Amino acid sequence: MNIFPESISQIGSEMDKLFWIITAVVGIATVITLFLFIYPIVTRKRNKTKEEMYMVGNSHNKRKWVYIGMMLLFLGDMYILLKEHPIWESVEQTLPEPDFKIVIIGKQWMWNIIYPGPDGKLYTDDDVMAYNELHVPVNKVVHMDIKALDVVHSVFLPQARFKQDALPGRTITRWIKLNKTGEYDISCAEICGTGHSIMRGTMYVEDFNTWEKTMADIYKK
Amino acid sequence: MGTHKKHGFWHRYFFSLDHKDIGFQYLLTAMFMAAFGGFFVYVFRYNLAFGPSDIPLYGDLAAKQYNQLVTNHGAIMIFWVGMPILLAVIGNYLIPIMIGTDDMAFPTLNKISYWIFLLSCIVLLSGFLMPTGAFGGGWTMYPPLSVSDFGYNNPNTTFWSNFFTGNTFFLLAVALEFISMLMGGINFVVTTLNKRAKGMSLMRLPLVVWMVNIANLLFMFSVGPLIAGAFMLLMDILVGTGFFDAYRGGDPILWQHLFWFFGHPEVYVLLLPSIGAVGEIISTFSRKPLFGYKMVILMVIIAAILSLVVWAHHQFVSGIDPGAANIFSLLTIIISIPFAGMVLSYLGTLWKGNIRLEIPMLWALGMLATFTFFGGFTGLHLGSNVFDIYAHDTYFVIAHFHYTLFPTVFLGGFAAFYYWYPKFSGRMMNKTLGLIHFWGTFIFFNTIFIPLFWLGLQGQHRRIYNYSAWNDLLMQPEHIMARQIATVSLIFLLLFQFVFLFNFFYSLKKGKKASKNPWEANTLEWQTDSPPPHGNFDPYPVVQRWPYDYNHPEKELDYCPQTES
Repeated sequence: MNIFPESISQIGSEMDKLFWIITAVVGIATVITLFLFIYPIVTRKRNKTKEEMYMVGNSHNKRKWVYIGMMLLFLGDMYILLKEHPIWESVEQTLPEPDFKIVIIGKQWMWNIIYPGPDGKLYTDDDVMAYNELHVPVNKVVHMDIKALDVVHSVFLPQARFKQDALPGRTITRWIKLNKTGEYDISCAEICGTGHSIMRGTMYVEDFNTWEKTMADIYKK
Repeated sequence: MGTHKKHGFWHRYFFSLDHKDIGFQYLLTAMFMAAFGGFFVYVFRYNLAFGPSDIPLYGDLAAKQYNQLVTNHGAIMIFWVGMPILLAVIGNYLIPIMIGTDDMAFPTLNKISYWIFLLSCIVLLSGFLMPTGAFGGGWTMYPPLSVSDFGYNNPNTTFWSNFFTGNTFFLLAVALEFISMLMGGINFVVTTLNKRAKGMSLMRLPLVVWMVNIANLLFMFSVGPLIAGAFMLLMDILVGTGFFDAYRGGDPILWQHLFWFFGHPEVYVLLLPSIGAVGEIISTFSRKPLFGYKMVILMVIIAAILSLVVWAHHQFVSGIDPGAANIFSLLTIIISIPFAGMVLSYLGTLWKGNIRLEIPMLWALGMLATFTFFGGFTGLHLGSNVFDIYAHDTYFVIAHFHYTLFPTVFLGGFAAFYYWYPKFSGRMMNKTLGLIHFWGTFIFFNTIFIPLFWLGLQGQHRRIYNYSAWNDLLMQPEHIMARQIATVSLIFLLLFQFVFLFNFFYSLKKGKKASKNPWEANTLEWQTDSPPPHGNFDPYPVVQRWPYDYNHPEKELDYCPQTES
């Protein structure tokens, strides 16, 4: 049984690794806390003196174990932030030069995909619109201009570990670079009305030659 | 004391000014609403596991109804079950008897607050009777979906046709509920500050009183922006202003900021009274002083302040500035530190204790364990903005927040309920039925949500009526099985609540008579009769010490009431 669906991008694998890093930090904390939980319950019937039991914790010295626990968690927190920040920066805060650009528009309840057309430029007269089918080349940086027409949608590519809300009135540019060919899902992750659960698209990741052929077919129509 | 006389049934339950009766009214109303919330979740979970047709007790479920039930389940459980039980019931019932006074500072305001609350319940449920049906756009009410059929977007509507819709009623119900909780909250804070018994300094207050007050102040600090936002949203629906309409100069993200600025502190508003009650119970049944009392209060205040500046972690992928997301991620992860301090203090209280595993203690330990291990720790996963890109709006989030809210509202709520039941009814609850109820609830609660964590990691996204469109990704046999395990567990969980209901009403009439102080606890409410008379104390108590002197070396008994010198 897999924990994650297969990952089709470099970034996606790094995010999966991050999940396990966080889980490890949390796991260590869990083991320590669980011991502190269970030990007193197991030994609850042993005899203790009143002096032993009257622990008020009213000075810093008596609370030192609490502080040590907090410090350890703080270190764990910092380690998580240290590991995750570079990924966030490369996913969200940088925009590598694109090899290919498309527009993806959420609409109740479908995905409209706009391809740049034969001239290779978006927002020109020869742009071609397709529905629910996104063809992208493998191992290339693809820019997506994400928009919505009516309500808030969210482009969710589970296998690419990619998600971005699509907002009416805004264009948000994000990038993906996928390293496996195949047929993958496009989900809408933000509730968008009655048809929210039929709003599925398909992303075809194709090697460069196949993809060029597909594009030529689309443009011919 | 002579002014408090006994009232007849009608007077007592309809026009009562007594804080104990008002607390009881809140409790019954919240249980009534919880029945709706529980029924809704049964219907839509049944649909997810076994399909939409022929749902027992319901019939066929359509996609539109599914959205309505999901939306109202969320709203009811938070605003009409969590808030009244944890703020209004605990606050109303406990504050006056724990601080040693006869009633609230403003009894009439208290009565009005309950009746407005009842009105809000009626308004919410009547949303289902509207011609367009109840509101179904998610309890977070993100525009433009929550306005899209009305106002400017639909020229065929008028003011009144926009008014009589589920959307408007939903907003109005939430607004009324806030008014009611604000009235209650003002009352709690003023009562605590002004009506404490002689000798009850702030540092001698029981922890739960501190927590209810901090929670109320936090609610008051955070609710303002949402009220402004709700007014704008109401105007968008009714008369077609464009506050959240991007095509007319508005901005849909504005609502998300206003909503979550309130929405995140709201979680802590629910958590604090619950964790306060759990602290009382853990100290009492460990027969030990609450470890680091002042530090716990300080940590909670720090966490409450931090909670006002973490709201955008709900919006990492909503289109906010990615640079700002870093700061929100940092603050969100940092908020784990004060909570670690609090949890470790509680564990310090358990350490070397003569722990008595009575029913309230089981609930309290269950609350602390599930909240920490699953609710709190998965918060680190989601607080990391990178992992949130993937997990946002999936069942991982659902499992996470149910692991924070279910322990808070239900496990903590039941702990408090079983603990103070002898005081409020004068009788003990049946222990065997209590054990059955506890283990049934605790086990099945976990078997509902652990599969949902896994489904979330598999990429199962939220609020989907039917996953058949995602055949390869989400309709494999193991996915279907995980959904069925969750649903069957839920049905068992709900069935076990009938044990509780039976125990509640049965023990009210037939339970063993409770003494003044059945748990041998220190706080003031245990120094008066069970149930306390109208007016609570005669004469007023004089407080000599803090509430946690269990096993004091200079005392013979292992407890020492606050009134003892």
